Amino acid sequence: MAINLVRGRDLTLGYRGRVVLDKLDFTIERGDFLGVMGPNGSGKTTLIKAILGLVPPLRGAIEFPGINGEPPRFGYVPQRERLDPHFPLSSLEVAVMGRYGLIPAMRAASVRDFEMARSCLERVRMADRVDVPYRQLSGGQQQRVLIARALAGEPEALLLDEPTNGMDVQAERAIMELLLDLQREQSTTIVFVTHLQSAIEHFARRVALITHRGGMLIGDKQTMLSPGMLARAYAGGE
Amino acid sequence: MDLLAIPFMRHVLFAGVLVALGLAPLSVYVVLRRIVFVGAAVAEISSAGVALAVLLQYEPFAVALVLTVLTFLVLSRVADSPRLPLEALIGMLYAGGSAAAVLLIVKAPRGEADIVNVLFGNILTVPVPLLWTMLVAFALVIAIQYFAYKEFLIVAYDPDMARALGIRVDVWNTIFYVTAGVAVAIAIRGVGALLTFTMLVAPGAAALSVAGSLSVAFVVATSLGLTCSLLGIFASYWFDFPTGPTIVAFLALGFAASYGWGRLKG
Repeated sequence: MAINLVRGRDLTLGYRGRVVLDKLDFTIERGDFLGVMGPNGSGKTTLIKAILGLVPPLRGAIEFPGINGEPPRFGYVPQRERLDPHFPLSSLEVAVMGRYGLIPAMRAASVRDFEMARSCLERVRMADRVDVPYRQLSGGQQQRVLIARALAGEPEALLLDEPTNGMDVQAERAIMELLLDLQREQSTTIVFVTHLQSAIEHFARRVALITHRGGMLIGDKQTMLSPGMLARAYAGGE
Repeated sequence: MDLLAIPFMRHVLFAGVLVALGLAPLSVYVVLRRIVFVGAAVAEISSAGVALAVLLQYEPFAVALVLTVLTFLVLSRVADSPRLPLEALIGMLYAGGSAAAVLLIVKAPRGEADIVNVLFGNILTVPVPLLWTMLVAFALVIAIQYFAYKEFLIVAYDPDMARALGIRVDVWNTIFYVTAGVAVAIAIRGVGALLTFTMLVAPGAAALSVAGSLSVAFVVATSLGLTCSLLGIFASYWFDFPTGPTIVAFLALGFAASYGWGRLKG
């Protein structure tokens, strides 16, 4: 039987009282590979941030039924364009940040933390770019470093915000295959949001569609990507 | 060296070294956090506070310290409004602070030269007790920056990631701005607004132009701040220039050279 990792109940999300997503009911199962799709500005990032606890619900609740109600350890992969290129950080220095939540305050990262970050860079096939400045990497390589950073925190689930945005087809495929490998090898739960149907079609196991009215439909890929369901989500047939 | 035989010049050198050690590493964060002009506005507000304190016969340093830290904290929390970019507010604080300082000086009961020293500081006239205050305060600021490196880095670089990792972004930002505010208030009191502002920008900007890593940037910024400080003090002594502006000129040259080198390196 599938174990629920995250459950949204009658969840309404927004900012300063303005509703972005309304009355969502959903579950994310342990070992899930869930693609969340919706147009730009539809609230995909808000959903990810709410699961991470960065955006408090306006109504309803996000529950973590799996481990005594405690949130699982999440690895967060933000949109890479948000990170300031003026910071002169190597790939390793970026990756080790994923360990910061595990290190006591006012203590530096240890040799073990750096070894862990290095091994995560190896897992995402960036072993030969450890000392290269992050800002000099290609978009696909930067995404790998950010995935390594999330893995360095030893997460139970990875939450990725537009992981293939701005990439060509080949780079998109490489990133998504890397995520599939991570999911298969370690049963890591993976949730990614995207506005690109191609990534969802080829790689997601389950799909959540954010509708034009700020609702969300969730189910297996075949059902969710059927013309009828897409019309219901986006053409006002809900 | 004959310069070192003069007691007050030893104080000047000590002040120059302290200001460089206290502010130059901080300047890396100031540039990366894009709060360069917050530093300038804070300096002017602090000066206006000192002038007001002199006029009302309160302790100027205490007023400057409180105002500087408060202004840093407030500006760190004010975001762009839908109608007005934050930059405009910072510009108006700078202009308003400058005007208020001058208007308050005119009405101050102490002599104008004395007030100008209290207000704008002068590296040649730093009193010995203030040197000790600078030593203790800057040592604390440096220690906090050293031990809180990972917290200061991640809350500046990726605050959402920091929150997701359970790191208190608001707490660490407040600690950063309070330490910056204390350092700036004490530096202004000692060596004046112009040198403080330049030391808070130039070393970091120069270092980030050439450094390949953040740790190297801190080393380059501190070395450049120290070198320019000492060169400025020696040059002002030998060529009879005012000391503060001479240090500022060396910092500007150091920045120009680093920026040019960084552009050539690509």
